[in-house]
Amino acid sequence: MPLRDAGIYLDNAATTRPDPAALSAARSFEDAHHGNPSSLHGPGVAAAREVERARQAVADALGAAPDEIVFTSGGTESNNLALKGAAPPRGGHVVVSAIEHPSVLRTADALRRRGVKVTVVGVDSRGLVSPAAVAAALTPRTALVSVMHANNETGTIEPAAEIGRLCRARGVLFHTDACQSFTREALDAGSGAFDLISVNAHKIHGPKGLGALYVRRGTRLTPLLDGGGHERGLRSGTLNAPGIVGFGAAVRLARDSSPYETQRLRDRLLVLLRRGIPGLRLNGPEGARLCGHLSVTLPRGDAKETARALSARGVFVSTGSACSAGKSEPSHVLLALGLTPAQAGRTLRLTLSRMTTRAEVDAAAAALVELAGGVHA
Amino acid sequence: MPDDEETLDLSGVPCPANSARALIALEGMPDGRVLLVVVDDGEPVRNVPPSLEEEGHAVVRREKAGGRWRLWVRKGG
Repeated sequence: MPLRDAGIYLDNAATTRPDPAALSAARSFEDAHHGNPSSLHGPGVAAAREVERARQAVADALGAAPDEIVFTSGGTESNNLALKGAAPPRGGHVVVSAIEHPSVLRTADALRRRGVKVTVVGVDSRGLVSPAAVAAALTPRTALVSVMHANNETGTIEPAAEIGRLCRARGVLFHTDACQSFTREALDAGSGAFDLISVNAHKIHGPKGLGALYVRRGTRLTPLLDGGGHERGLRSGTLNAPGIVGFGAAVRLARDSSPYETQRLRDRLLVLLRRGIPGLRLNGPEGARLCGHLSVTLPRGDAKETARALSARGVFVSTGSACSAGKSEPSHVLLALGLTPAQAGRTLRLTLSRMTTRAEVDAAAAALVELAGGVHA
Repeated sequence: MPDDEETLDLSGVPCPANSARALIALEGMPDGRVLLVVVDDGEPVRNVPPSLEEEGHAVVRREKAGGRWRLWVRKGG
């Protein structure tokens, strides 16, 4: 039996520790059922029954119908399916925000290479996308708008429903990436504001490699994969039934838990850091932020070195920079908020979950205050 | 049939998801209660009744209406 990761884990926006009950649901399913959930015999129907139970859980959490849920391999695939699947032909137009996840921004780049015009709408200093700016970007050729429900770095909650309603009024499809906010922040697919919603399992203490795309009934989408026509023809490939069962369990567990304790601890962490590190800057709004998110810019020092030093002390956080292909560049999200590259290089992201304790928050704050050269809280 | 029977419309739902959803709906009902299940003609009406009967439920009446079938399913013990 491998040793369980020890330490204070404050990188829950990257991924969460799976809930033992979600893992247990997946394992129990796998022990009991090996049938392909697309097969018509008894073992197939038995597997399909548990898959459909999970589909209902995801649908309920989104205020959707089960038929509107397509299981995928995760948020990246859901975002790719939404954008590429709903993309207009050459000469058409798509709008995205500047703070989207790379799985939206790089997919928009791919559309650009296909001859689709892409407009990137900026954000204000809190990271908020203005509905008026989105409205101003729409043209008669706009087919799709994608604005995330909440940002993965700052936790800023976007006015996605308002943007969705204005898109609906103009006959434009609206997609939102809700991977960070799913089950934590209300999102009602039944409101009619959304055509496509991406969610995933591993951000809500579920298994990795599982996601879903809400596809509003009647929305035409071109699949990414050709094959056996699973998931109403939108996602061919044998379903990862054990993972889906774990996903469903994770959704039910998340909906049974309250975000308020996490928010209270997150606010406590901010108070301790502000008290101990004069000049600390909070990125994103004070209010409209996901319950567990904290993005802070240190007055001095280097975020990567600080994160490494914290890691050596058993406190795990991430920096405001994204690493790709061995090259480290300032976070596009922080730059979009107006931070300088130097400020972005001093930015840490600390993200809590429902498993975070007060003792962990206090210990993490003390460690960071000491490292950041401030006074002890 | 009682007037207050519950209805589960599975038209457009492929096999075996239709059987799976009907079985889930029946789980929450008391024994002896009847569920009206609507399924498509063709494969669904051939596959759903035996799947439900294998689990101890009884299809007590069936009726074709357009391209769909109405199945009255009595929950088994």
